Formats: sequence, C-alpha cells, structure tokens
Amino acid sequence: MARYGMVIDETKCVGCYACRVACQNQNNLAEDEAYNYLEEREFGQFPLFTRVFLPVQCQHCDNPPCVTVCPTGASHKRKDGIVLVTEKDCIGCKYCIAACPYHVRIIRKQGYVEKCRFCVEFVEEGGKPACMTTCMTGVRLFGDLDDPASEIAQYIARNRHRLRPYKGEMNTKPRIFYRKA
Amino acid sequence: MPLKISRRGFLKGSALTAGALSLGTLGALDFRTWAKTNAAAPVRRVPTICNGCGNRCGLFAYVKNGRIWRIEGNPEANGNRGVLCPKGHGYLHDLYNPNRIRSPLKRVDGKFQPISWEQAYQEIAQKINLILMENGPESVFWVNYPQPNHAYALRFMHSLGSPHYFTHGSTCYTARNAAWNHTVGKLPSNDLANSRYILVIGRNPAGGVDLGQVKDIVRARENGAKLIVVDPRHSETAILADEWLPIKPGTDLALLLAMINVMVAERLYDARFVKENTVGFEQLEDEIINYPPQWAEKVCDIPAATIVRITREICRAKPHALIHRGYHGAIGAQYLNSFQTARALAIANALLGNINRKGGIYFAQSAGLGELQPTHPIPAGPAGPKADGTGIPGRYPLGSYGDGISHAIPELALRGILKCGFVYHHNPLRTNPNPKRVIAGYKKLDLLVVIDPVLSETASIAHYVLPASFYLETDEAVDTKHSGKRAQVSIQQKAIEPLFDSRSGFQIICDLAKHLGSARFFNFTLDEANELRLKPLGASLKELRAKGVLAVGPSWKEGIGKLETPSGKVEIASATLEGLGYPAIPRWQEPLVSPDPKDLHAFRLIHGKQAMHTHAMTANQPYLMAISRRYDLIRLWINRSRAEKLSLKDGDMVEIKSLVGEGKIRVKLTEGLHPSCVWLPSGYGVFSKHLTTAYDQGLSYNDFLPTLFDPTVGHAMSSEVIVQVRKV
Repeated sequence: MARYGMVIDETKCVGCYACRVACQNQNNLAEDEAYNYLEEREFGQFPLFTRVFLPVQCQHCDNPPCVTVCPTGASHKRKDGIVLVTEKDCIGCKYCIAACPYHVRIIRKQGYVEKCRFCVEFVEEGGKPACMTTCMTGVRLFGDLDDPASEIAQYIARNRHRLRPYKGEMNTKPRIFYRKA
Repeated sequence: MPLKISRRGFLKGSALTAGALSLGTLGALDFRTWAKTNAAAPVRRVPTICNGCGNRCGLFAYVKNGRIWRIEGNPEANGNRGVLCPKGHGYLHDLYNPNRIRSPLKRVDGKFQPISWEQAYQEIAQKINLILMENGPESVFWVNYPQPNHAYALRFMHSLGSPHYFTHGSTCYTARNAAWNHTVGKLPSNDLANSRYILVIGRNPAGGVDLGQVKDIVRARENGAKLIVVDPRHSETAILADEWLPIKPGTDLALLLAMINVMVAERLYDARFVKENTVGFEQLEDEIINYPPQWAEKVCDIPAATIVRITREICRAKPHALIHRGYHGAIGAQYLNSFQTARALAIANALLGNINRKGGIYFAQSAGLGELQPTHPIPAGPAGPKADGTGIPGRYPLGSYGDGISHAIPELALRGILKCGFVYHHNPLRTNPNPKRVIAGYKKLDLLVVIDPVLSETASIAHYVLPASFYLETDEAVDTKHSGKRAQVSIQQKAIEPLFDSRSGFQIICDLAKHLGSARFFNFTLDEANELRLKPLGASLKELRAKGVLAVGPSWKEGIGKLETPSGKVEIASATLEGLGYPAIPRWQEPLVSPDPKDLHAFRLIHGKQAMHTHAMTANQPYLMAISRRYDLIRLWINRSRAEKLSLKDGDMVEIKSLVGEGKIRVKLTEGLHPSCVWLPSGYGVFSKHLTTAYDQGLSYNDFLPTLFDPTVGHAMSSEVIVQVRKV
C-alpha cells in the first residue's frame, strides 16, 4: 500500500496562481471556489527586501482534526493517507471547516464540504496532481513516501533537515512537507 | 443589446449533447458527479496551442461530452515543456463567456444589429471600394497582435496595394529589436538553462510569463548558477533571484555603461572574442571612460561597489554568462534612452564573448516555412513607404517597417491619411497610450471593421464587428513560435465545434479578400496552405495534427559565423547609426521626463504584467479576475516611506493625475519598489460596458500616457510619464 505525500518548496513559488486554476478545472470548480491558496509574506526594508509565497492546501494530516470532528464519518482518511469527504454522507454542518487549522475546506455551492483530494482519480492511474504538473518552477513533488525509489522519498532523504510541517505545533502530522526559505 | 443571455440559456444554445443538457448547467456540476454520470463518455484529447498570450504554448485540450474539461501542457513544445500558466487554464473559459458575439454586427444609429456574414462582407466591400477610388489603397490599414495567420493578413493588404500592415510592436518591443539588429544582425535568444550567471534587467519572465525561460532559470539555479534581477520593483522573477537590485527607473543605461566601463578598465572582457568578432572596440575604450561606477551610482541608485562586484562576477563566469536579451521592460518601448540601453546591453553581452555560445546569447534555429508559390501567386508589394515614417531618414529611420508604428494610426486618421481600418486580435483603444486621442482617431475613420470574439473597447466603436472564433473552435495556420535549440512548428486545431456563427481569422481574411476582388491570391484552403508551408521542412500535416508540435531541421550549434550586420561582425561601433546622426557608441541619455525630487506627490508611473493577465484581454475572464479580487491585486504599488509622507495607509484610495488623464485607485504599500515611482499592474481599466466582468475594474497606465514617439524607432516611450499622487 502506497503512502502518499507531498513536498512544497516555498523558495520556488512566484505567486502565479496556475495551481489554483488548474485545480479548479480539474475539479470542475466555479471561479470563486478553490482548494488551494497562497499566503504572501514580505521581509526586510527597501532596498534589502524579499517576499515569499506559501502555497497551502489540504495537508492530508495523519492526525486530521476534520476527521475527528466529523459527525457522520463523511470526512475520512484512506489507508494510502489521502483524506477525502464522502459527498453523500456530508450534511454540510461545517464543523470540519472550523476545525481545520489550514483553512482549506470550502462549502461547495451544492451544499457539501470539499477540499484538495490529491487528484485521487489521476493518482490511482499513476498520474500526478494537477497543481504539481502545471507549475513552471516545480514547487511541488508528489508520490509514495514508502517507496525508496520515488523522487519524493529521495528528495526527503536528501533534504530532511530543511523540511518542516506547516503549523506543526497543532500536532496534525501533515503529509505535506515544506521546504523553507 | 442582442447579447444579453443567461448562462443557462447560453448552454442550451450551445453544442452540448442532449445527455449533457439534462444535467443542467455543467459549469456548476461537481467533477465526480460529472465523471460518474459521464463515465461512459470518452475523453478526447486534442493537441493545439494556447491563445492566452503571444507565446502560444503547446497544450492538450481534454474534451468530454462536447465541452472543454481541462487543458494540460504539451511536454514536446519547447516554449512551455509540459507546464501551463494561470492564463492558459483560465482563458479556456472564455469559450463559454456570455459576453461573446454570436453573429456579425453592424452599428446603426449607435446600436449594434446582427446581420449575416454575406451582408457584412458585401457592405464592407462596397464601402472599401469607394474609399479605394477616392483615397487610394494607402488609406486602408490592418492592425493586429500577430497570429499565426499574419502572413495572410499581409498578403491581403498587399493585394489591395496598401503598405499599411501594423503590429502592436511600437508599444512593446521595437527599440529592443532595432538595437539587437544593429549590433548582431538579429534578435537572439537566451541559453538560460546552461548559464552560470544570469543578469536580468527589466525583464520578468515569471510575471510576463515565459514558461520555458522560467524552467530554464530554475534548472540553471539548481546547477549552481547565480541570478541577479535588476528591476525598480521586486518582480516575480526577483523572488527566484540571489539578489534584487532596485534600480531607479529609466536609468538602466547608466548601470550598463558602468559595467562596460569596469569590463574595459579591469580588462575583464573576452579579448579574443572582441578581437576576432567585433568592430569598434577602440572607439568604445575611448568613450566608456566617461562612465565610472561612481558616476552611475549617483544616476541609477545602485552602489558603485555592487556594480563592480557583479561585473567581476559575471566576467568570471563568461562565456557561460548572460544579460537577458530583454523584452518590453527598460529596453522595449519605455524610455527615450531605451534604444541606447538595448545597444549597451547587446554590447555588454558581446564583451562576455557569449554570442552564440552555450550558456550565453544564442541564435535560435528558425523554421523556414514554405511560400505558396508557384501554384498560388503572391501580390506585388506596395510601391510606397508607410505613412508612419518607419525606415525613412529624417523620420524614424530605425523604425521597423514590418511592424509599423501602430500607435500613430490615430494621428494618421486624424490627418485624413488613413480612412479605413481592420483591427484583428488587438484592442488599440485600451492598449495604446492616451485613449482620448486614440478614440478620436479611430472614430474619424470612414470605415472601421473589428474582428474579435467580444465587444472590446475598439469593437464597441466599429462600424462592423466580425465574430472571430475562439481558439479552441478552429484550425489555423501553422506557426513557428516554439523554435529554440531546434526549430519547431506548431498548429492550432479545432477541439470542439464553434458555439456561434463565428469564423476563424484565416477564413475571415480570405473571405474579405475574395469580396474585394483578390480571389486569385487566396485560391487555397487552409489545409493546402499548411501543407505547402510544411513542405520544405519535410514535415507532414498529418503528423503535426497528431502531435501538436514537431521539431524540424538541424540542431543548434555553438560558434559565431558571419553575422547579418554591415561588417559581418558584432558592431560595437555602428557606422550605420553614425551615418544617420546617432552616436556610434551608446552614450548616456537622460530619460525624457523625471519626477521632481522636491515634490512629494510626483512619481514616475511604471507598469508591468501580473502572471494571471495578458494586456487587457483576460480581465473579462471570471476565473482570472477572481484571483485579482481575492488577493487584492488591482492596486497601485507605492514605496512605504514615500506613502507615509503622503499620510497613506495600505489600501487607501488615491487620485493619480497626469497631463492627459486622471483616475482613482487603492494603494499597496510595499518595501519592494523604488521610491521614485509608482507601479500599476497592466491588464485592468477595461471601459467597454460589454465586458461585464472586467468593466470599471482598476486603471490602465495608458490612461495617463501622452502620445509619444521616440526619435529613433518611433516607440511609445510608455514609462515617460510623471503623475501626481494624492490621498482622497
């Protein structure tokens, strides 16, 4: 059984938002519905200045608060690590939206909650998530963390000391690892 | 207005199958439901090229139940190699934009009435024939942002006997092109991927998106290359850089002259390359002593020590080092000194010995498309020069005759020289400087025909509007945009049937020509023309259709041969320029205007692209505009310390005023901008009420720009404007 995860290299994001629209198309979302967002941060004073974009999406946590609080079991974690919402079981109570420290869950116009699904239909056929494949700088890496031959596993092995979870203090144990600026 | 139509009604009228219709508005359907419902429906993959900007990236369009589902980059296309930008993903939704025109339109008493294609063509032809009789063929023009069919538009103008084919070039890149032409013979490319040291001055490939270049920069950085970005604004490319050097806008020439000064003074240049492959170095040695780094520091605000350091660094990495060949920013069409700046940039590269070298500046392979002769005759070229003065000594001798000076069209119309115009894939009312003047000029025309999928500002004042098909609806002429280390041909192909009574640009050009008695020059179909164009390349149309892009011809080889300059060498000193009364060697030249440092309200207005918008074309796209709104991107950037002196807080509303325009906009306070300027993202300020998403959102820099023509190439000098900024 694969154990899926992602690396996001925040030193490479130029803030173009291609990942947002590629994801919207992939998931047939309306223009104001998005499964990912960017946080822009500025550092320093003119002329010694820089800025960083932090791409955020469902972290597919190993300790997911959204799953814990879901009253119907609609939010669940698969054996391969992907956190999903079963649409027919979701009653739209938004408890999970309140519980998620990453603010990545949205209530769809149809009344149920949804969020990044790691493009599970693609992944099951050997593909990669749309946010990753469209990116001009290669911000994201996706793959099987348990497969030592996978690009992501090798990347993590090489860069372990540079990687950190986002909001690690929340003890959510995210499956997305950020390479920090 | 016949164009008001609900999304639901629009979809019912579209080419969806009955099965899809029963699902209601597909746009609001969740993918999984859609996928489940349509599990049996096959997904069709059509290779084509994007039309979200001029790069024409290779992509695969995925079609399900007659509707475009999503797109994905074509890994074979050299220009984007498998990735796509937000504009590509978002722009595909314009296919389904309710603002699209559904049939040819004729303006009667200020209102548009739908008419048939045949009526439109006949009436247009009748009116042009009268204009031709009374004013001659020179009074007719065609202006476009070039599409792969531009050769046929040119053929159409020539068949009428008019020299007046224009591109948008004079507002974009003509100074850069002229400078490279007069230095190395043609416009080169950058071998970024193999470079060890990349200096980018005024170019921002991560914002004014060039996907292939960004991929190359990332690869070079991973291999240890250093990236320095010189830009008044902390650009998207600066995010990737080792260093951002915020230069005072309009003074890039001073930086380059000082860098050359250091290269010469410290003998850091490639002496062998200079000896063997250049002319005029001695003259450069004599003149460049005038520009030491201490002088440049005072002019351009980059410390002398930094100038010396980066010059030494780039020279250590030579010849696998380069200064980006540039685009619009700094050297394209921005300042009085843009031409000299571009010359200095080209010369500095030559001193690195990097011309046509790996990791340097190189000449891309070109795909020499076939002509249509002998089977299809080509019209004799027009006898006279262009009325804009391009290529004429005493007027704009270095101006590009091929591009023309398109922002001179309103002036030529007001003077009664141009009487009739075709505007295709272009919107001069929004993208040319000084819109009041542009509107007056285009309104003076006896006949204005606009070919566009929507009622842009320009289309809104046209006598006739011909609905161009959306790029996903039609085939087009073979293109060569993706040529790099190998030449590539690419093709735009129909992914779905046209939703409305629209036609391709190619067909409209041919139809117009036929109705104007030029049928003999247009006696071919698109497929025939494409076959003939591909013939000398040994490529088959069938294979190209299957793959979307094809590599053709030999691979690029390192090494410099005889250049296409008068001397056959790199012209550090140019006898041609001297003969025309310009300096043979680049000399410092002040910008045309500069803000008064004592005036707290005076700023230079500069502009640039955001990654999600192209010119004014994508602002009406809800998916892209949603990003602008969600992230509050429709704001004027202002340096924080300058803003605080005006008691401005982040998000405050200001009034901007220049000699020709005024407007109100909210500000973004930032440390990432030179204090002498304010920065306005291009792409907003749409004033056509027919574009419902974009209308009245933000401002355009063109609102504030006077109509200017630089005295070398006649470009628009689009950053030579001082504005007054006040809190409201």
